[in-house]
Amino acid sequence: MAIAREDIGRPPAMAGEPDDAGDRSGRARTAIVLLALLLVATAVFSLASGASDASASAVLADWLSGHGGDTLSARDRIIVHDIRLPRVVLGILVGAALAVAGATMQGLFRNPLADPGIVGVSAGAGLGAISMIVLGNGLLAPVTAMAGIYALPLAAFLGGLASTMLLHQVATRRGQTSIATMLLAGIALGALAGALAGMLIYVADDRQLRDLTFWQLGSLGGSTWTKVAAAGPIIAVALATSLLLARGLNALALGEASARHLGIPVQRMKNVAIVAVAAAAGASVAVSGGIGFVGIVVPHLLRLLIGPDHRYLLPASALLGASLLLLADAVSRTIVAPAELPIGIVTAVVGAPFFLWILLRRRGIVDL
Amino acid sequence: MLEARDVSVSIGGKRIVHRTSLIAEPGEVTAIVGPNGSGKTTLLKAISGDLAHEGTIVLNGHHVATTQPWKLAQMRAVLPQATVLSFPFTVREIVRLGVSGGRTGALAGEDGRLPDRALARVDLEGFAGRFYQELSGGEQQRVQLARVLCQVWAPVLEGVPRYLLLDEPVSSLDIKHQLVIMKIARDFAGRGGGVIAILHDLNLMAMFADKVLVMHKGRGAVSGAPRDVLRDELLETVFGCPLKVGALPAGNAPFVLPQSVHI
Repeated sequence: MAIAREDIGRPPAMAGEPDDAGDRSGRARTAIVLLALLLVATAVFSLASGASDASASAVLADWLSGHGGDTLSARDRIIVHDIRLPRVVLGILVGAALAVAGATMQGLFRNPLADPGIVGVSAGAGLGAISMIVLGNGLLAPVTAMAGIYALPLAAFLGGLASTMLLHQVATRRGQTSIATMLLAGIALGALAGALAGMLIYVADDRQLRDLTFWQLGSLGGSTWTKVAAAGPIIAVALATSLLLARGLNALALGEASARHLGIPVQRMKNVAIVAVAAAAGASVAVSGGIGFVGIVVPHLLRLLIGPDHRYLLPASALLGASLLLLADAVSRTIVAPAELPIGIVTAVVGAPFFLWILLRRRGIVDL
Repeated sequence: MLEARDVSVSIGGKRIVHRTSLIAEPGEVTAIVGPNGSGKTTLLKAISGDLAHEGTIVLNGHHVATTQPWKLAQMRAVLPQATVLSFPFTVREIVRLGVSGGRTGALAGEDGRLPDRALARVDLEGFAGRFYQELSGGEQQRVQLARVLCQVWAPVLEGVPRYLLLDEPVSSLDIKHQLVIMKIARDFAGRGGGVIAILHDLNLMAMFADKVLVMHKGRGAVSGAPRDVLRDELLETVFGCPLKVGALPAGNAPFVLPQSVHI
């Protein structure tokens, strides 16, 4: 009886060519390159499309000639540089932030249904942002004076952080996250944040109400370089931090104890992940309002395509999230032109049925 | 050397392990046996650094309670009873996690081949491309063992012995694979590493363990070599079941012992 495979301490006698079955890292790298190209293409397309007739080729020619040529009129150049470009940059930042926040949160909660929008993190961030919009010149005036353009993203970050920490406390016990508890706690958190936001709206004046309505629906309209400057650094730091968590999130898929046995400082990693998620979601919510479902659709699609290895999933999510948000923005600008549909409506129309489809596929596992 | 001295563990106010001591020497397989609920897994979790405890647990001169996770991970690997994954990883991706700490102790440049070699050792050649969640419980257990083996591939790293901590490593395995896995543990110890394994099968324990700790109601009842520990009176006290060591079945009823295999 051959029970002993005598390869201990020696190369296995039967090992032939190194076999790479089950290794999806090559495919993942290829996908990341293609997604980067897709993002470049969607960015150029977004820059060139809009109410004015400045075309893609004209914009590119103008850039390549160092703005010296005469392919672009002065008016078009202003449109491209001060209206479209900040909108594209903000779209990339927000799309990447939402998708990476979703992927990170799913890794942290060991649960593919976690998403800042669904479990109340965005609602908490929204409450923070609304507080700042309504009370920014009154009660919270000192914060406005101190933080300047960062006051709004900061408030949204703190709101998102509070709800993420609360959610984690409620839904996780002894290292296990209950999917049902998490989703239900998310509903409660969202309702609470919504109610508090409603009270603030009640005391808002007319100008604040206009700001709020526009902001609540979720839109990249009104993008300015100031908004890019306010949210960009926060999102950049949050994205970079998430990428550093990749190995830890992979180990966490085995459970908290096994991750620790592999040498991961689990508690510290979870704290860092919670702050990164709140920062990415908070900064996005602050500049673009409630854009939902990007954080659940993008990582889910990518897991089907390249697998759940976070070393590839996180950067790929950033790239695909950015591309998808630019495309959704293009749809929102053109589908009811010359008016503009809030982008949050576009992502919800596509994302909500997708979420239901995931639930349907996992019905046995979710077991509510 | 791994030494647990007067270890007590309470969970939720209830004391599960009372002042139990255990010494696991490198080069030996140390078994923990005992009835369900006698505190075996809780003791092993304390040794792994998962549970707060009273008393001292020292691994190669480092107090487990205060040593950084990355440092412990270089000195010991832990196989849990069962592992449920949250995402659809392939077998190779899971086993590779054991390599990801970067201190396997394999020869330079060999790390990339370790997953295949580890899978071959647990008799799962050709499973690398399968999805973990589609495997049977016993196969999943062996995949996890392959991952754990990668983490401490060399039983001795820079002169320091490393440990395998195995919580019921053969509980869901057929008899052949029980023997395969116990042989791996035996060989790991034979090459200078240490092994602590929780076992239920007293015959396997007698066959592979150098030393055994018998736990009873949260305490170490007795420890020593299997031949000194396996006594009728002790088995009856601990397991509450009047067993006879070395007794053959009455009449000519068939029986099969793992010892009968030719290794």
